[in-house]
Amino acid sequence: MSATPAKSEYLMIFRGLDWHRGLAAEEIQKIMVDWMAWSDRLVAEGRSKGRRSLSGGGKIISGKDREVSDGPFAETKEAVAGYFLLEVSGLDEAVEIARECPTVPYGASVEVRPMPANCLASQLAAAPLDRIAEMLAGRAAGSPATSAEPAKL
Amino acid sequence: MNNTSEKSDYLLLFRGADWHKDLSPDEIQKTMTTWMAWFNRLVAEGRCKGGQSLAPDSKVVSGKMKNVVDGPYAEAKESVAGYFILTVSSIEEAAEIARECPTLGYGTTVEVRPLLARCAASEVAARQMATADA
Repeated sequence: MSATPAKSEYLMIFRGLDWHRGLAAEEIQKIMVDWMAWSDRLVAEGRSKGRRSLSGGGKIISGKDREVSDGPFAETKEAVAGYFLLEVSGLDEAVEIARECPTVPYGASVEVRPMPANCLASQLAAAPLDRIAEMLAGRAAGSPATSAEPAKL
Repeated sequence: MNNTSEKSDYLLLFRGADWHKDLSPDEIQKTMTTWMAWFNRLVAEGRCKGGQSLAPDSKVVSGKMKNVVDGPYAEAKESVAGYFILTVSSIEEAAEIARECPTLGYGTTVEVRPLLARCAASEVAARQMATADA
């Protein structure tokens, strides 16, 4: 047993661009002040390592012909609005943080996704061929990839 | 006209967790080798600041009661599988990079989104402070 448990990284994805619809300007500002206090506290506690918000526009590229169309990808309610990069002891702690998100009661959703220590692409590029199916099956079944080399931000 | 045009950050979101479904292990590995060469080239060119793949076991929090359900958020075809952060001159350049994605032909969709220099929440919060001061 170690006194300092290992930390893992999680991406917290905020979804929904219209949580403020129907709210007064004063309410919106109050929620954003709460948001900044929450976000700044997580940074001060060393639990949030990065945070970015996205603009509402964008492009989408898809298909064999690599067609480009206007984004964002999902409808307003589901579109990605921003993210935090958390460093915490486990998925449970990340979910507890997600439950503190000030815009969730107004319709935003928060998706918490583990970030493997080593990216899947580099693992698949280097793995023996007879292990490929197993690695992807494990991914589908929900086990996070684990390996040494970091290839992250 | 300026020779050293201003750069901005863009997020590439790779959507689709099942691009490999109909491929042989050999094809999957070849595609991932191409992927890593693409990523490493973008990093070497100073156009990509980082990237990550996301594991699928996840949770989604939503609603007034802050319910927690198993994720990922979207169905396999649409769920976010990973991302790159690009620093480039325009959204057109970011879209050109997105068009090079090696798994596009196998069902991946790439979403390009401008990253704001300053977070939207702090802008709104700061405006309140300014109003309070006035």
